[in-house]
Amino acid sequence: MTRIGILSFAHHHGEAYISNLRRMQGVELLGVADDDPTRGEKIAGQNEARFFPSYEALLEAKPDGVIICTENNRHRPLVEMAAARGVHLLCEKPIATTLEDARAIVEACDKAGVLLMTAFPMRFSAPLLEIKTRLEYGDFGDIYCFNATNQGELPAKYRAWFVDPELAGGGAIMDHTVHLVDIMRWFTASEVETMYARSNRIFHADDVEVETGALEMLTFQNGVFATIDASWSRPQYWPTWGGLTFEMVTQRGTVIVDAFRQNLNVYRDDWQRSNWAYWGSDMNQAMVGDFAAAIRENRPPRVTGMDGLRAVEAALAAYESDRTGQTVHIKNL
Amino acid sequence: MKVGIVGVGFMGTTHAAGWADTPAKIIGFTAETQQEAGDLAKQYQAKIYPDLGSMLPDVDVVDICSPTHLHHEMILKVAAAGKHIVCEKPLARTTQQAREVVEACKKAGVQLLVAHVVRFFPEYALAHSTVAEGQIGKPAVIRLQRGSYRPKKPAGNWFLDEDKSGGILMDLMIHDYDYARWIAGEVESVSARRVTELHPDAPVDYGLVILSHHSGALSHIAGAWAYPPPTFRTHLEIAGDRGLIEFDSDSTAPIRNLILKTAGSDAPDVALPSSPVSESPYTTQIKEFYAALADRKTARVSATDGLVAVQIAEAALQSAHSGHPVKLQSLAEAQ
Repeated sequence: MTRIGILSFAHHHGEAYISNLRRMQGVELLGVADDDPTRGEKIAGQNEARFFPSYEALLEAKPDGVIICTENNRHRPLVEMAAARGVHLLCEKPIATTLEDARAIVEACDKAGVLLMTAFPMRFSAPLLEIKTRLEYGDFGDIYCFNATNQGELPAKYRAWFVDPELAGGGAIMDHTVHLVDIMRWFTASEVETMYARSNRIFHADDVEVETGALEMLTFQNGVFATIDASWSRPQYWPTWGGLTFEMVTQRGTVIVDAFRQNLNVYRDDWQRSNWAYWGSDMNQAMVGDFAAAIRENRPPRVTGMDGLRAVEAALAAYESDRTGQTVHIKNL
Repeated sequence: MKVGIVGVGFMGTTHAAGWADTPAKIIGFTAETQQEAGDLAKQYQAKIYPDLGSMLPDVDVVDICSPTHLHHEMILKVAAAGKHIVCEKPLARTTQQAREVVEACKKAGVQLLVAHVVRFFPEYALAHSTVAEGQIGKPAVIRLQRGSYRPKKPAGNWFLDEDKSGGILMDLMIHDYDYARWIAGEVESVSARRVTELHPDAPVDYGLVILSHHSGALSHIAGAWAYPPPTFRTHLEIAGDRGLIEFDSDSTAPIRNLILKTAGSDAPDVALPSSPVSESPYTTQIKEFYAALADRKTARVSATDGLVAVQIAEAALQSAHSGHPVKLQSLAEAQ
């Protein structure tokens, strides 16, 4: 039995991970801990999960792995604490809000010899896996470029800290750059070389301090280029939270991907607006499943801490470019 | 009003149909290939002139539908003769040329109407008025996309000759630079990349451009010659601080053809967008230009608009070449 705990419910994905863990064979939800005990006890109660009074107490119970769902800038101390006890880690994205923290997180896990997985669920999206397979099969020839969007609504309704510059490490750029950078790194097997970004704060200008609109232009070492629309541009009454799309231009033409297209259109009297009910496969389930399997089989997870670090590098380069107005060259560490 | 048309390719033919719907009289055509002009001349009972110079004394207006690199010289010639001008987009191949023709027309006191036809497409016109009325608040992030296949025209294909057409970043994507500026105002900086910059022999081309507007708004422009014929798709998204407008040609097509292919059927050389409407947007455009010429009514697109669109396109070409963003000089205010 692989025993997994959840540290913090600052990130709302923590609650989804409880059900993901419960659905798996050979996996036991050891329990949860939260430095906000009111929140933690409430969620533990609702899910009939064991609540530990502190992170240390949960780690003392010797889980095989933990999932870290703190605020973005608070991952590092928990990673270091768990790694020091030989506990494997699945860490929410972005893995950190500074390069220093991201590096320290990867190094701590390397040193301790524990697995570190970054929560990039798109790597487990069935439509994206289909594209990856076809790329490997040679269906498309060379990739030339991507025209990509990861647009969402203002995430403040899930958690207030998502729009806090300190706790989240920024706004739309930090939130949405990392997913597409990771997908493109995965597809191209190349690293980001340059980044250009422009941002604004026109959506929700009076509600938040962070950027809410952002466009980025990046190039990879192998010559592939891309744009990313990382904006929080979906209205609150959009039929769903947002989405992730890209057009991939290749030697053989173009493929257009809408990762969250698998929806029913639902119209209900009591909503008075259309709603998209997603019926596609649950990526989080597959991601948490890979984490547990990696622990059990003593192999690297399909997305690593280094992948998380590279994505943060790109997001931070976007902030630097936005400040200077210039294209930023990324020197990989 | 007597109109002469230069060029009898797709645009010359399309504009002729537009003029035929106005009180103006098509006097004649001139083109490099006289044979092609013959059919059109017959259809509109018009003359074939051997060249622009011989046509000028007979007309009030010259509609220039020639390849882009010829616009500059032709406009100067028409302006010098004191005749009005309608010109296909791009107004000229370079910013310098565009400045010169705008200046020359101003000096000569003739009108210069630039055929940025996207402003006349009903979906784009409606989106513009929706924004102008304040229905979605202040535009923040604008996404415009236009895509088809590479222009085919095998014989001396000027579209594919960068020196003549400016390639995808100019010829195709100028439509959306102009539209973005119509929606969100003047542009401060341009960053661009395109496939053929890195892969000159690629079977497709694709351009990606980010525009920063003075207003703070950001525009994302994508242009594709990367789809199989006869695809032509356009997409528009304007996200404002109080709402969002979306248009997608794929999902709003009122007719979807699942017709079996017959032998010999082929896609046209240059793809044109189409969604059945009671008046072709090209005709709407020519009618508005006719009203501007006949009644001095202001058209929705000015010579300066044509000039600044060329300036943005040139900046995009520079940026794609250097890999660095390009800051724009404020030409619009100087005009």
